[in-house]
Amino acid sequence: MHALVQGVILGVLTGGVYALMASGQTLIFGIMKVVNLAQGAMVIMGAYLAYQLFVSFGLDPFLAIPITTVVMFGLGVAVQLLFLRPLRRDDKSELSLLVTFAVALLLEGIMSVTWSTTYRSINTSYANSSWTVLGYQITAVRVWAFALSLLALGLLFLLLNRTRFGRAVRATVQNPESARLLGIESDRVAALGFGLGAATAAAAGSVYGLLYPFYSGSHYDLISRLLSIVVLGGLGSVGGAVVAGVIVATSSAVVAATVSPAWSEMTFFAVLILVLLVRPQGLFGTVGRGAI
Amino acid sequence: MSRAGVARGGGFFLLLLALPFFGLAHWVVNLLVFVLMFAIMASAWNLVGGFAGYPSLGHAAFFGIGAYSMALMFHGAALSSGYEPFVALPLIGLVGAVIGWPIAIISMRTRADVFAIVTITFLFMIQTLAFNVRSLTGGSQGLSLPVAPFPAASYERPFYLVLVAMLAVAMLLTFGAMRSKIGLSLVAVRADEDKARGIGVRVSGVKVLAFSVSVGLTAMVGGVWAYYETFIYPQFAVDPLITIAVVLMTFLGGRATLWGPVLGAVILEAGQQTLAYRLGGSQFYLIAYALVFLVIMLLLPRGILPTLEERIRLRRRARVANAPDTPGAARTADAGRVALAPGGRS
Amino acid sequence: MSGSNRLRMRRAALVAVATLSLISACSSSPSSTASGGTGAASADAKPLVIGASVSLTGDFADPGKAVKAGYELWADQVNAKGGILGRKVELKIVDDTSSPTQVVTNYQNLINQDKVDLVFGPFSSLLTVPASQVAKRYGYAFLEPAGGGPAVFAQKLDNLFFVQPAPVVKSGDIFADWILSLPAADRPKTAAYAELDDPFSAPIAESIRARFEAAGITTVYKEVYPAETQDFSPIMSKVAAANPDVLVSGTQSEDAYAQVKSLVQLKFSPKFMFMSNGANSPVEFPSKVGTANTAGIMSAGDWFPGSTATGAADFAAAYIKAYGGTADTIDNSSAEAYAAGQLLEEVAAKTGKIDNATIISTLHQGTWPTVLGDLKWDSIGQPEGAFHLVQWQNGSLVPVYPTAIAKAPAMYPKPSWGG
Repeated sequence: MHALVQGVILGVLTGGVYALMASGQTLIFGIMKVVNLAQGAMVIMGAYLAYQLFVSFGLDPFLAIPITTVVMFGLGVAVQLLFLRPLRRDDKSELSLLVTFAVALLLEGIMSVTWSTTYRSINTSYANSSWTVLGYQITAVRVWAFALSLLALGLLFLLLNRTRFGRAVRATVQNPESARLLGIESDRVAALGFGLGAATAAAAGSVYGLLYPFYSGSHYDLISRLLSIVVLGGLGSVGGAVVAGVIVATSSAVVAATVSPAWSEMTFFAVLILVLLVRPQGLFGTVGRGAI
Repeated sequence: MSRAGVARGGGFFLLLLALPFFGLAHWVVNLLVFVLMFAIMASAWNLVGGFAGYPSLGHAAFFGIGAYSMALMFHGAALSSGYEPFVALPLIGLVGAVIGWPIAIISMRTRADVFAIVTITFLFMIQTLAFNVRSLTGGSQGLSLPVAPFPAASYERPFYLVLVAMLAVAMLLTFGAMRSKIGLSLVAVRADEDKARGIGVRVSGVKVLAFSVSVGLTAMVGGVWAYYETFIYPQFAVDPLITIAVVLMTFLGGRATLWGPVLGAVILEAGQQTLAYRLGGSQFYLIAYALVFLVIMLLLPRGILPTLEERIRLRRRARVANAPDTPGAARTADAGRVALAPGGRS
Repeated sequence: MSGSNRLRMRRAALVAVATLSLISACSSSPSSTASGGTGAASADAKPLVIGASVSLTGDFADPGKAVKAGYELWADQVNAKGGILGRKVELKIVDDTSSPTQVVTNYQNLINQDKVDLVFGPFSSLLTVPASQVAKRYGYAFLEPAGGGPAVFAQKLDNLFFVQPAPVVKSGDIFADWILSLPAADRPKTAAYAELDDPFSAPIAESIRARFEAAGITTVYKEVYPAETQDFSPIMSKVAAANPDVLVSGTQSEDAYAQVKSLVQLKFSPKFMFMSNGANSPVEFPSKVGTANTAGIMSAGDWFPGSTATGAADFAAAYIKAYGGTADTIDNSSAEAYAAGQLLEEVAAKTGKIDNATIISTLHQGTWPTVLGDLKWDSIGQPEGAFHLVQWQNGSLVPVYPTAIAKAPAMYPKPSWGG
């Protein structure tokens, strides 16, 4: 029982971080119908940027977020304009899978050259501190990571619901054609949307770097988990991604704590297959139209 | 396909069969063995990813299933002639196809993007199983196979000839699919699945059949690979990279064409192995690779062969326009092929 | 450093570089031939070409580069002395991208295309198995410094020699030897095992477990975790709950650091703690877990700074000269690769010949001094020696057992975290 509760605590705290990463990915899909296989690489890129700012200037990774998100936003816009916009419309979904995979490799290559392939970790002064609450071990850095993820998700929510850009995005997600008729420039929305997805990856990357050691190849592990989460939540649904992120992280932490860590990765996939058998469009997905 | 096409195919295979008897160096035959493996897998992937338009990212799972089936069948066994594992290949193909059947039924409920994700998820599941079911697979410690008792002087030759035969099967299946009703049904599925269903194509049967045949062939390649390597372990027996390489080869050569996947495999696999050997290592490879990848996708999104064909057709059409009294000049050698190519639709 | 299993995708890196060949590669020359120093080798003697495939990209890139450094250091040293039997040593080192497919191609090419005189092994058991089969087929001796897993020796090859003091499985046995040498009252009664699922890690802990259980030390917890495990708190809280006297960790690198961090957070410090790898990294380990937290943790090693084994001082000096740093920053893998070269020199000095058949028949007899200490092999290339037990004391790694090489007595019980 103790192990189970400890697993749930860990899972929920980790789930917040995954929710943040996945929200960016599902947003990109919602706007452009592109499955971004580079989302994991962007998270790791964000982690490296935070690492570099910490090592060079002693800047705390949490405080580095405003800088890294801006940089990654620019990168995301560039990727969309350079590599995704030129794709022909009829093959777009297949080709974009390959193109974003190539972008992931490109980022990985750049990171390997810049930071070599040894593991890095961001060792802040509070990295090892923890509290004991009712006999359960709660790590400080995880609580901060969770809080920050909630904050970032809240900002994203405000951006999507309270701004003109947000309204344009939601209109594009729900019906690209009528959005165009309403005078929304879909190319611009797509570029900004991809940038926004990359920015959430940067924020999540800072947090990820604090929690786990990482190297340039870490993005493959991440992307396999993120894919399960966004499909589970329903491609294009930000709310779904958040819920699915928490569900998946919690169930995998519980399996790790109660059965064996060897099978925890399997939970991601098993949950996904089960859901697809019952509801191929995911928990919160709708058929044909996107939802946010 | 015209008579010239049949002659081209026959000549190609005669040349392939004769090659090792010209006293080729071991390292050349070794290279051809790996090229053939990828040519077969790319041709097989093409049946699902090229014709039916279902971009499977899970084929490497079946490569692994084939490799582990072979290893389990012969682990610790003593070989007398060394041909026993080859005899077992059809069985391994069957194992792959039988496992592929329900997977196809489940995953093909979804379309392009989600299908790609579901199949790659299946791949990760198989990899996790290969790691965790230690009593069967040996886990991360790997599983060894007996070493083939072939003489050192012609060690690679049996592997090579078996693979040539498998490539012939894969290409005949592709050829058949292009000529038959099944092929037309697959293309109809690719173009518009709902409409195809509407006009009476038995959509699910056709695509599930294509998937099973495709993964069965892939499993057989995995079996040959395991025997050639003599030692397998999860990271490389169930390797997402194999899928990615196969997809890239098909895209480079040309989807939904007969020769495209083979051409792509020759260029990429031979190029990779030679360059890794010649140029040594540097992290810049990854960057160069990604850039080449992007250039192919952006400049040649339909692949080499369809692009070339279109060029030739345009030029001929131009010539016809200039000399309208030349009968039949506009007819391309393989009109059927062009029509099947994705470019043919646009 | 096996990395996470999915990451093998990186090997893909090379797939399409093919296309690049049309643009650039045709004009480039093979760049990986590292010829040694000028030395005194006579100009007319044919150079002795030694081929090796190591991982310069992919999952094994970092240890692979350390192996390459060891080979090159040795070649420079031996050439400065006039080469082997008057022949200048030339290395041809190629990249296998950490892939078993590429490693087969590379040894095929080295042996049959470039017709090298001798070959050295790659990094990792996983690549050594297929590579050694190619070498065997063409009668090449296979000196390999980094493939000592059970699968390697299960092949029962007579041309293979694993250039380390003991097979991987037995590399932690020195810890069991030491524990069982303690007075009965001081020995641990209960043990926990946390093992990374990887051919270089879990088997070490398993071998110790077999010894401990035979000696009556109860196993209170055991877990094998996969390479992509990130959260060690579930495992370590169970370890803490089981409250063992000794924790044996079959670790690689990052997982070792993560285990220690997690134990520090849980404030659980066992009386004895052994980690197979990661904790024997003299620079990384203290920087990742904090120097104060290293005190009392044990590990196993073969080469260590200040070793008095044959050629060790020369090796350390040459390494620091070539790559900078201090004796503490020398990678074990480099020392092991260097030792493979030393063996060739010794065979040539003893027999006056340097060819594959001579190497194979000569190395099967006698004891051979190297920077790793004295090595000897059984008929299938398994080394028959033992590693040293090392322990963190006052922020540095000290050999503590066997007594003959110990620089300080072993400290026990392990102090609590933070010193």
